[in-house]
Amino acid sequence: MRAIRFDPELYKLEQRVMYHAKEMGRTLPEMRFFILNQMEFASLLEKHVFPTSPPNIWEGKRMVHKKYRIETGQESALYYEVVQTGNPSYAYLNNTNSPMMQASVMAHVVGHCEFSELNVLKDSNPDRTEFVLYLVRKVNRARQQMGEKNYLQYWNASESAIPLIAPHSQFNVDKAIETESRPHHSMSSEVEGENKKSLLLPQFHTMDSILKPENKEQAWEKELRKKNHQEALSRRGYRLRAPCQDILGFLRHFAPTSSSERAIMDYMYFANSNSDFVIRTQIMNEGWAMYWEKKIMMELFKERAVKGIIDYARVFSGVCSPRPYFNRNPYHLGFHMWTHIEELYRDGKVSISYLEEKDRQKRDTWKKEATRDPLLSMEHLLKTVTDYEFLRRFLTPDLIFKLHLNRILKRQAKQLQIQPDAIVKEDEHWIWLNPEAVKQEMLGFFTHFFRPRIYLIDADFQDGGLLLYHRYDQRELRKDWILPTLKNLNFIWKGPVSLISGNSMYTYSSSHFQDVSILEVPFERILERMQKLEKPYRP
Amino acid sequence: MQEERISSNESEGAFNDFIEDKIYDAVDDILSDGNFENLGGRGSEIIVEMDDIVVPTFSYGDTGGGGGGGEGGQGPGKGGGKIRFTLPFERFMELIAQKLKLPYLTKEGTGRIKEISYEFKTFAPVGTILDKKRTFKRALRTSVGTKIYQPQKGIYEVQFRRRDRRFKVPERVEKPKYNAVVFYMGDISYSTYGKRLEMEKRLVSFIQSWLDYNYGPMNVEHRFFVHDAKAYEVQEDDFYRVSNIGGTQASIVFDLIYQIAFDEYDTSTTNYYGFYFGDGELFDDDTREIVKILSNSIRPLFNRVGVVEVLPSKWSQLNNELEKEFPLDNIIRLSEIKSNSQTIDVIRKLFGGAL
Repeated sequence: MRAIRFDPELYKLEQRVMYHAKEMGRTLPEMRFFILNQMEFASLLEKHVFPTSPPNIWEGKRMVHKKYRIETGQESALYYEVVQTGNPSYAYLNNTNSPMMQASVMAHVVGHCEFSELNVLKDSNPDRTEFVLYLVRKVNRARQQMGEKNYLQYWNASESAIPLIAPHSQFNVDKAIETESRPHHSMSSEVEGENKKSLLLPQFHTMDSILKPENKEQAWEKELRKKNHQEALSRRGYRLRAPCQDILGFLRHFAPTSSSERAIMDYMYFANSNSDFVIRTQIMNEGWAMYWEKKIMMELFKERAVKGIIDYARVFSGVCSPRPYFNRNPYHLGFHMWTHIEELYRDGKVSISYLEEKDRQKRDTWKKEATRDPLLSMEHLLKTVTDYEFLRRFLTPDLIFKLHLNRILKRQAKQLQIQPDAIVKEDEHWIWLNPEAVKQEMLGFFTHFFRPRIYLIDADFQDGGLLLYHRYDQRELRKDWILPTLKNLNFIWKGPVSLISGNSMYTYSSSHFQDVSILEVPFERILERMQKLEKPYRP
Repeated sequence: MQEERISSNESEGAFNDFIEDKIYDAVDDILSDGNFENLGGRGSEIIVEMDDIVVPTFSYGDTGGGGGGGEGGQGPGKGGGKIRFTLPFERFMELIAQKLKLPYLTKEGTGRIKEISYEFKTFAPVGTILDKKRTFKRALRTSVGTKIYQPQKGIYEVQFRRRDRRFKVPERVEKPKYNAVVFYMGDISYSTYGKRLEMEKRLVSFIQSWLDYNYGPMNVEHRFFVHDAKAYEVQEDDFYRVSNIGGTQASIVFDLIYQIAFDEYDTSTTNYYGFYFGDGELFDDDTREIVKILSNSIRPLFNRVGVVEVLPSKWSQLNNELEKEFPLDNIIRLSEIKSNSQTIDVIRKLFGGAL
């Protein structure tokens, strides 16, 4: 790994890229570029794009496998760009790329870094990479303190909980867990209203008693409930007020751990939590990066800082090639959507008058001077929405057709067993699906991300156990992994762990695994009970 | 952040150590089981299968049946699935030797026959295979010296001259070649089937592997002989297949292998090994004859002779008689096997250190 300043040619290019980015008014953190060889690149990716990681056999296994694949020519190890955002951001360039490619990568990284700075999810934070380096040192010390066997066991257990990280979920730790220092702000307006009401009216106020007669029994119950709640909060230090989807986040704070175990969980959480941001904003993020990459590259070609515009055009069209919605290409979709949105703002099409216009011809030729710079509107969008809203608002049926999201090869459609009634158009080679259904399907992704939705619903279930809830969506969990996963969570929680999935409840406690049939409980019911401060599930 | 190399060497090392431990466990399993038959062909790589170290998570998928079955969790290697990797034959035998504390076999015959190979160890200004790295280094050095390459002035040219070229040159490497011949002798007059056959197979399989490892698979000749009242050579497969019920005379097979060893091989360059398997129920004069052949002919010539009584009975007397004649002998090794679990003990007796 060498810093870019040791390569005069690339250093000069970097200066030009940064110059143009600043000229274009980009909001950027400090950006540090490094050049890596292919093995370093492979290793970096295994370390979640941080330059170091605690030694572990899982990374070792993946690297051994990857090296073998690279050496036998099964994998090229040529990566386009890799960046760890934050302030400072660390961007890594592949030493095998041509100067033109390196320039495009740097310009692309500009887009990512700005997106991370501005986006509504507030991804960027100061010294992220440095903090992870600090955590790695802590884990290395923990490894020595715990001994290799215990270290591996705890690492293995913590890795089981990595898919249970969801810092940006509406059911994250902040919103679901109430602590003494962090009082709960309720999930629904109904409950908020209830909270605002005084639980116990002053009984001595005669006029009030007459005007607002309060059921004494109810008031007593409410006070008792409040007292219990406060006592529980004081006893345990926290209380679950809503289902918590960020389960590793919860365990990190509240599982009984030694400082070494805590260090492992902290590292796991920080090194992996960024993926939640990526998955929720990938289309906007990659699109924004491609948008600025293209703009900056055009400037570089104009001033002849780099050569090879034809090559660039070829690479660009390859990266931005269309795919059907089920294996959507975020570069293609994002870039074209941002360009489309820019056009909409420029022509004043994001307005009520345009939406209410019924005349097709007028709509098609609509061109009104924008009241503000389209770029400012785009930045506003960036600061306020994630992919879900981005697609919901701007992905129209026309755009779905234009971007070929609903176009599938006939052969492929046959393999996918697509029903004839889902097809709206076809020719010799292609079929086109109903764009509305395609949009719904694409939006559906953001509710589950093709992953099981698991929530922590009770941290005091059957004598201090954890109760997890799988939000059932007609798909079964992999049965043979339920037991080992529960066992791993039990190892972290050091108490019984149960999971409700459909009409089954699986429990692992004291080396004993149990699988019992129960009546299915809908998620909404669980939520309702928790809001009423009731036990979410009673066996 | 310091300028350093990004690598996963430590993790790879940890993984390799983990695998090494697993291999030790696998070798332990093989040794406790005593089964060497399914290790593959002579000198071939050993395939070791172990639990994969994929970490289990809650995920979608239809693997596994109902009831939430499945073992594992908590600790690597319990996530489900299997990984297979190959272990070189030499490494496997090295581990076996370590575990059983077997000394390497004494090799004789150095200096007479050489194994010749060519390795690209040296480099010269002329040749056919250009060493690009060395050539470039020399060219760069020359270019720096002649100021053609001046990075401080932004000149990065490198000139290649004829004399900078370096070619890979093959070098003749001679290694002493050791030859070995192993004679396996089997008594077919007793019932060689079922348990007996299995025990014999296991031992023969290990002996083959061990000698192949010590001398190299290409340098060892394995020859199989059987006897009842007559002695003759058979193919390896037939060694376990032929049987006969009737009288038996073992001395003739010892005599036969001695004749072959003397007539067909160069005694000064060949290492001889002989292993006899039988129930040990022989006539007195036959045993005396064996003692005579062993003392006068075979012992001076052979590196090692093993006599194994397979499932001996109260009438088995071969080893008793040999014990009297060759007590604690380093060349003539005696043993008996009554069950599969004794395979390792027999191997230790046949190939263990000096008695």
